Amino acid sequence: MDDVTMTVSPDPSPPRLASPARSEMAPAPGSGRHAVQIAGLLLVVAILAAIPALKPGYRFLSVATSTGISTIALYGLSILFGQAGIMSVGHAALMGVGAYTAAILARDAGIGFWLALPFSTLLSAAVAGLLGLPSLRVGGHHFVIITFAFCGLLTIILINGGSFTGSATGLDLDPIPAVLGVNFGALQNIYELVIAFLGLSIAATYAIRASAYGRTLRAIRENEQLARSTGINTGFHKIGAFMVSGAFAGLAGLLQAYFLGHISPDLYGAFPSIYLALMVMLGGPRALYGPLGGALIVYFLPEMLRLDPVDARIAYGVGLIAVILLLPGGVVAGVASLFGWILDRRSRTAGADG
Amino acid sequence: MAATLEITGLRKTFGGVVALAGVDVSVGGGDILGVVGPNGSGKTTLFNVVTGVHRPTAGKVVWQGEDITGRSPHEIARKGLARTFQQAMSFSDLPVRENVLIGYEHGRGRRRGGPRLWETVDAILAFVGLAEHKGRSAGALPFGGLRRLGIAIALATEPALLLLDEPAAGLNDRETAELAELILKLPGMGVGVCLIDHDMKLMASICRRLIVLDFGAKIAEGPPDRVLRDKKVVEVYLGNLA
Repeated sequence: MDDVTMTVSPDPSPPRLASPARSEMAPAPGSGRHAVQIAGLLLVVAILAAIPALKPGYRFLSVATSTGISTIALYGLSILFGQAGIMSVGHAALMGVGAYTAAILARDAGIGFWLALPFSTLLSAAVAGLLGLPSLRVGGHHFVIITFAFCGLLTIILINGGSFTGSATGLDLDPIPAVLGVNFGALQNIYELVIAFLGLSIAATYAIRASAYGRTLRAIRENEQLARSTGINTGFHKIGAFMVSGAFAGLAGLLQAYFLGHISPDLYGAFPSIYLALMVMLGGPRALYGPLGGALIVYFLPEMLRLDPVDARIAYGVGLIAVILLLPGGVVAGVASLFGWILDRRSRTAGADG
Repeated sequence: MAATLEITGLRKTFGGVVALAGVDVSVGGGDILGVVGPNGSGKTTLFNVVTGVHRPTAGKVVWQGEDITGRSPHEIARKGLARTFQQAMSFSDLPVRENVLIGYEHGRGRRRGGPRLWETVDAILAFVGLAEHKGRSAGALPFGGLRRLGIAIALATEPALLLLDEPAAGLNDRETAELAELILKLPGMGVGVCLIDHDMKLMASICRRLIVLDFGAKIAEGPPDRVLRDKKVVEVYLGNLA
């Protein structure tokens, strides 16, 4: 009845290239896989953090910063969609909750970035929990439409919120005050701040996936009825997954508000939400670096290549269909299994030689 | 032996259809109880009502002295009542070992404290004969393996009573014999069994008692050799063969 099954499921059938269980297998205890993953994560963060040293242009760094902020929200969405199997096209609205919380707190209470951090994430998580409530009764497409409607609802509230929400014009914010002499008004510094939070988001996502909690969410994704019969309170964990996911979105919203210095309702409507869903699906919701890859492909590249927005939308549509048909696990998972396949073949030929 | 599951006057209707018409069943701790009856006689509905999938229209389900009527499936599972499904369910994209680990991390075992029925997940896999498949994804198992995985997931929750819904359906003779051997070991480990199946040879050989359902009503109960010779049973269940 309330099975979460959809036509666009996160990974309907794994690519034929590699053994299906490989991509998601929890590291065996005592094996060095955790260490390898953590080293990989540090490497990725180090590379991203080193980019400003190459003196890229202002535009490059600015687009990279926005991409990083979206990617934080994408990691939250990947927990909800990739692990728990629940698709939401309401995540831009949850970013909006975080962003407006920050802007309103700064204006009315003089609360700055660091103190607003818990408020933005917790309020976003709470709203995400409410957004998740209908998922207890409806699943699949019906639920996706509800999350979509939620974005419309939030936009209407923000536009009609009078001076409290700044109506259609939105709200302004001052930059993050300097901490220990680091001036966050400078683009390079806010970029590094975003990368730090992105690194934490990826680490948190990895920890969740590798934990018993991650397994619980995957059980719900795979078979809700069977999960319930083992003693999992599926309703509780579905709402929980929404809240965890919402906290990531709230953090992203907070960063976005302070990065842009000005927020308005159109940033958090239905279209931005669809783009977030698209990025996760293209990159691969179950792959650890899927969200990062998706954001680079859908957000960063078209912007850097100055693709015409209409052309870009056509490209996204074609790209999404191609990925669903050819690489159901997403681009990153597809590339990873291709490497796995090459390594497999190598070791097999090597074994045959020896 | 003191009965652990006491079902009294259990009734379930779906619209105008009477699936269970007031059934009384009791299952003891070390029991192996078989439930037989023609298709649509209410066997699976009985399991679904007992495990909280459906709320009964009337009647009571008492488990180890506690009224659990209408409780949700996860609460009932945590109290030590586990089940398998007729459609051989698994967490199909996950590795076999992770499937069993999920049962091990929830259910009754983790909550009650004290020594566990299974030291490790690998012990459960070895018990059902899936040890060499533990790294494969569940969806890639052959059908017989999938049936055993379903039992392994349920056993991993460390139940006091295991409800098996047609565990032999789709199995060949060798697999059925292995299944019988496995089921016969359970009472000795403190796991009572209640199973539904159409394989009368299997049921007669492993069940200590049988109950027969027809149109949602219990029409016979007792040791298999006596029940299967019962005139009423032969008429409704095997009538077309006689």
